Amino acid sequence: MMEQGDFDVLDVCLPTYLHKEYAIAAMDKGKHVFCEKPIALTMEDGEAMLEAAAANGVKFSVGHVLRFFPSYRQAQEQIETGRLGVPRLIRTTRNQAFPQWSWENWYQDYRKSGGPIMDLVIHDVDWIIRNVGAVERVFAKSFNGTVSGQEHCILLLRLKNGAIAHVEGSWAYPSGSAFHVTYEIVGTKAQIEFDNLSTSPVIKQTCEEGLHKLEAFSPVEGSAEPYCAELNEFVRSIEYNLPLAVTGQEAIEALKVVLAGIQSSQTGQPVSL
Amino acid sequence: MKNVKIGVISFEHMHAVSYTKALLELPGVELLGIADEDEFRGTRMAYEFKTRYFKDYHDLLNEAVDGVIICTNNKMHCQVSVDAALKGKHIMVEKPFALTAAEARQMIRAADEAGVRIMNAFPMRFNPNIVAAREMVERGEIGDILSITGINHGKIPSGWFLNKELSGGGGVMDHTVHLADLIRWFTNSEYRSVYCESGDLIHNKQIDDCGIVVAEMESGAFVTIDCSWAHHKNYPIWPQVDMEIIGTKGVLEVKAFGQVNHIVDEVSGIIVDVIWNEGGDEGLVREFVEVCRTGKEPLASGRDGARALEVAVAAYQSTDSHTATMVEHIEFDR
Repeated sequence: MMEQGDFDVLDVCLPTYLHKEYAIAAMDKGKHVFCEKPIALTMEDGEAMLEAAAANGVKFSVGHVLRFFPSYRQAQEQIETGRLGVPRLIRTTRNQAFPQWSWENWYQDYRKSGGPIMDLVIHDVDWIIRNVGAVERVFAKSFNGTVSGQEHCILLLRLKNGAIAHVEGSWAYPSGSAFHVTYEIVGTKAQIEFDNLSTSPVIKQTCEEGLHKLEAFSPVEGSAEPYCAELNEFVRSIEYNLPLAVTGQEAIEALKVVLAGIQSSQTGQPVSL
Repeated sequence: MKNVKIGVISFEHMHAVSYTKALLELPGVELLGIADEDEFRGTRMAYEFKTRYFKDYHDLLNEAVDGVIICTNNKMHCQVSVDAALKGKHIMVEKPFALTAAEARQMIRAADEAGVRIMNAFPMRFNPNIVAAREMVERGEIGDILSITGINHGKIPSGWFLNKELSGGGGVMDHTVHLADLIRWFTNSEYRSVYCESGDLIHNKQIDDCGIVVAEMESGAFVTIDCSWAHHKNYPIWPQVDMEIIGTKGVLEVKAFGQVNHIVDEVSGIIVDVIWNEGGDEGLVREFVEVCRTGKEPLASGRDGARALEVAVAAYQSTDSHTATMVEHIEFDR
């Protein structure tokens, strides 16, 4: 495909450990690259991708899709318009059952996925850096592969501006659990809270073979649909040579924080950036 | 059955009001008197609760009370508790138990030597939702506890709470202890190390109003406690005590104050969540009366109070040092 392909953009949705190889191969062929998050498992790999993009003069972006979710955009607007005052205390959760859908179960292999700090809460880490501020210090706890079939992690971030963030990510919920995402941001003037389950406008309950199932849906269609929006934005930035919505450098910053978190979870001490 | 005679020492901490109300609901209990340095507050409360007023708590301790409930500021807990023990009274002291480990040790020693019981006011141990959740954990319904995320998030109090001399600290001192106690109770494990980020971030009162504690238990579980006073004054509810408990066989989420009705008042413009179940004060006071009646070892003892205090003390050390701090366990004399 890379040799013969008549295409402009490659969207890399491979497992994280393969990002660098395929992204750089495409960039070397002059293709623009949109890469799934996290950008890479190591700073070296991430930086090599950035350098390849610069050397080949192609556009490179990473799928920090949370920024495109309307529910998160609203919080961003509340911060930007000053309604919240200065954001000071942030709590986020991203909880679900262990991923069962992955190819060759690559999520379970820390060498391939980086585990939940790398793969799951990087969403919230990126959002916090962009909307609240850069990270000064990270303290983290994680199962780190010690529990069979369950993963769970907590990041406690201290930002350079003094704000504190409690970031939770879980693959420890029972199989069949609904994906549960929340945030709470307390600013000096106001606070904003989001809970995807309590605000889902469509709830479906079924019973098949005696098994009750509840599913929550929050439909966002068309160009507002976040996965569609992030790609549209990337294509637009190529078409009109506009600045990227998510830069490779920003993806590297988020990667640096989660790597510090992984280190902290292994040493038991905070890591300063 | 003889009436149990109880005295209340100080209404400086507003919980004294709900404890006294709960006391008066119980059969076989006599509220013998109220002591309060503040004459205005003390006489008003004595009038409201139809009991005697003492300006000096020593005078109340000289009366034939079986036990006293101490709701002074935090700094006074130690002195008043030791005085009460010397007079042979059972004690229930408001949380946090004391300001320092040394004070906690002294209070427990005084009670032990006098042969009286000392209890720490942890109403969450009697909250119906917390109790139900703990029973599920004890029955093994979610397996072994691997992690707990705790939130005790509230509004900022006023007065002496904001004076570190009298309170010992802000949200970290005031709020950490509730969940620190529940987590010990749920995991049947002690604290190994504590990390904390905290500070005066929201209200500009020169005292910590935001704090998050991350701790490791001897069982290996890791837990977090949000002890912030961050909510703004018109937040629809004051108390929030939530736990998300991750077990090897399941997950348990409990909200101690989750049973609310949402009221929208057009006349006052107020939107508020009103709790319709017992909060825990009722069971707490019932337990203390039982302790006074029988001399039994209380659920939520002074030792439990001291263990929870150790977490708050370590949290302040960690805030200053930016390191995970080993929890120093108080060695009791017996």
